[in-house]
Amino acid sequence: MESHDGRADEPDEDGMNSAVSTLDTDLLAEDVRTAPASMNAFLAQVERRAFRMAELNLGHREDAMDAVQDAMLRLVKHYSEKPAQEWTPLFWGILRRRIVDLQRRRKVRSIMVGWLGGKDDDGEDLPAWEPADTGPGPLERLNDAQSYADMAAAVKLLPQRQREAFMLRVLEGLDVAETAQAMGCSEGSVKTHLSRALQRLRDQLEAWR
Amino acid sequence: MNAPDNHFERRARELYREASRQLDPAVVARLRAARRDALAKGDRSSLAHRLLQLLLPAGAFAAIAFVALFMSSPVQRPTTVKPAGASQVVDVDGELPPDAAAADPTLYQNLDFYGWLAKNSDSEASR
Repeated sequence: MESHDGRADEPDEDGMNSAVSTLDTDLLAEDVRTAPASMNAFLAQVERRAFRMAELNLGHREDAMDAVQDAMLRLVKHYSEKPAQEWTPLFWGILRRRIVDLQRRRKVRSIMVGWLGGKDDDGEDLPAWEPADTGPGPLERLNDAQSYADMAAAVKLLPQRQREAFMLRVLEGLDVAETAQAMGCSEGSVKTHLSRALQRLRDQLEAWR
Repeated sequence: MNAPDNHFERRARELYREASRQLDPAVVARLRAARRDALAKGDRSSLAHRLLQLLLPAGAFAAIAFVALFMSSPVQRPTTVKPAGASQVVDVDGELPPDAAAADPTLYQNLDFYGWLAKNSDSEASR
């Protein structure tokens, strides 16, 4: 059970550390990041993955686009003077907060619609929250579309913090410190959330093993 | 033990990267437009920010200078009527007769004495 402040209990710290260090040495070594030459280059490099991440979290393309657009604007406006090495955790942190904001807003809206019985003051139907974009899309053109869809479905079932840790650490390849900075928690919490996320995903995606 | 776990994570990342590469061209175009828009707005914002940074100290300095100037300028006090005895009228030209109102009143009180003195001094001189 996760605590409310985003920190989790940290049992089996040694096991988690070994798993994380394995991730560091084996998985991340293949993807050594270099500082981007410009803000434009950085955003061009991350924008597609940012969209995928937002889409996985929000399950809605327009919201994902809004989140990415807003994250890009905020990074440029407030952090373009920062060293390029800091842009990565800053950007993913901004995007994470934006996603959380949108999820909260969506929740409030659905509650309001429920209270009002789906009608406004004039008795007209309120605009319903659009369901997740489940129609045929570009994913179907991928060879691994089904695998990605399975993974996306499993990731969506994870608790929020575990999902964030998995996406930032494993999918995006941030190191523990960067992930902690982006998530606004301690490195120990990142390891805990990640360990639990991996455990759940492995259980759900048994066929991959 | 690590190999299959590592395979799982590697596979997840490959799928994520591949899905990102294979995004719908329309979405890619919108992302590109959003990036350009963000950069343009950011440039304008940072330009305004720099201008503000430049103008703020200048404006503050101007305001302080204005206040200092205002404080140091002589205050125009209303002229008060001083007691006649305390006044000392300086006749700049030296040709005009003294102002009767401002002159020493004892001069007018002893006019007879001064007239007698002048008369006597004239008769003394004629002898």
